[in-house]
Amino acid sequence: MGKETIVVRVEISTLLGQHGKISPGKMDRLAKVITNLHNSGKHVLVVTSGAIILGAEKLKLQNLPDTLVEMQATAAVGQAELIRWYQRSFDEYSQIVAQVLLTSDIIGYPQRVKNTRNTFNTLLNMSIIPIINENDPVSSSDIEYDDNYPLALMVAKIAQANFIVIKMETNGKYMIVPGGSFKAVVVDGETELQEKLESICNVMIPRDTAVELQFPSSIGEIVF
Amino acid sequence: MDYREVLKNKKRIVVKIGTSSLSYPNGRMNFHSIEKLAYVLSAVRRRGVQVILVTSGAIGIGAGRLGITRRPQELAKKQALAAVGQAELMKIYQKFFDGYNQTVAQVLLTKDVVTIPVLNRNAGRTLHKLLDMDIIPIINENDTIATYEIVFGDNDTLSAIVASLVEADLLVMLSDIDGLYSADPRTEATAEIIHSVLEITPELEQLASGAGSSFSTGGMVTKISAAKICLRSRIDCIIASGTDPAIIFDLLAGKEIGTHFVASQKKAVRHV
Repeated sequence: MGKETIVVRVEISTLLGQHGKISPGKMDRLAKVITNLHNSGKHVLVVTSGAIILGAEKLKLQNLPDTLVEMQATAAVGQAELIRWYQRSFDEYSQIVAQVLLTSDIIGYPQRVKNTRNTFNTLLNMSIIPIINENDPVSSSDIEYDDNYPLALMVAKIAQANFIVIKMETNGKYMIVPGGSFKAVVVDGETELQEKLESICNVMIPRDTAVELQFPSSIGEIVF
Repeated sequence: MDYREVLKNKKRIVVKIGTSSLSYPNGRMNFHSIEKLAYVLSAVRRRGVQVILVTSGAIGIGAGRLGITRRPQELAKKQALAAVGQAELMKIYQKFFDGYNQTVAQVLLTKDVVTIPVLNRNAGRTLHKLLDMDIIPIINENDTIATYEIVFGDNDTLSAIVASLVEADLLVMLSDIDGLYSADPRTEATAEIIHSVLEITPELEQLASGAGSSFSTGGMVTKISAAKICLRSRIDCIIASGTDPAIIFDLLAGKEIGTHFVASQKKAVRHV
């Protein structure tokens, strides 16, 4: 049996410090946690947002852009900054990352899904962590309004992932929810998270064991 | 007639740079060339000329990052190296352009921007917006999902498509091909560069596709086909050596270097 494949969705807000700038400390912890997950023998793919916020910072904009074309232009500037942060932070842990930009329409083109899956598999087999974002400059569908939830799900489908980490906290807490069948694992014996999940799904969850959970609504609404 | 005179007044140019101009023959990055390119393009931009850079090099740089010495043959491997190398490539461009206080943006395109109207519109609008903001967009093929550049050539076609998309008035293709020759310069002592091409005739294409003229990885054939796309859109197009990026200053000063595919002076028509 192959390695377990995990898609980790990173919200840029969890990486920001004071004044809305990327916190090097939080970025460092994220790189450590994810590299460690990878080192433990799992295939890890990261879906990240943040291109617009970083672009706005680079361009010294007072406010975030509000028209589509401004957001796209800002994202084109910011994506380059974003991937630079990932490179730098993962470098500290001797981990190589790759940038993959996707548009949501590829799911309708079997050849592209196949190309993308092949690229993912090749990267993962080379021990490289793909850092994935929406290709905002050319697409108009997501543009980070929805914090990349649909993108994370799409990536999970393409990569045939076993789990999606819906929300990654830089203190190392995380919750994993599978893409298709609603199974979840609480790792590190996170009591708070465990209780939260138990209350959401109305079941008892043993630690470090996958259990079948019925989430009452779309997984996008689960926060902890 | 001096066809080069028009090049002095270009306002929006696309510069395409090939892998051979960004790296040494051993595959390692040539930081000197890349920094010089950043300097030249920043200077040109500051003169009021809008600049778009179409760059190759992601696969080679990815291989270098991973310590792979042989260029992989397998497509998925190339795509994986491109995903690693594109991030590295942008990091280097950012660093050098930052040094000249010039903001850059990364735009990864698939060739289907041409055939899918909504992508075309989005990509075109984003690029125009970036130019309005005095940013230099740096464009490459989105290798992960598409396979065009990897399979067919060295971004020559993509650069012509971009030139059409942004309604540029000049495309400069810099590579290890310094121009179109009248014969194979390696074997014919009398071979000389054709400086001006008014029309791409079947004879000319024959010349380009002949064994003698395919003396590079990108090849002359893809450059001629890029020039054709440009001429259809009434965009001047130049093939010149990328050894020293400062050649762009000379080209924009109207100096007779490389091969100039002369666009008709008639009203521009877009073909994308």
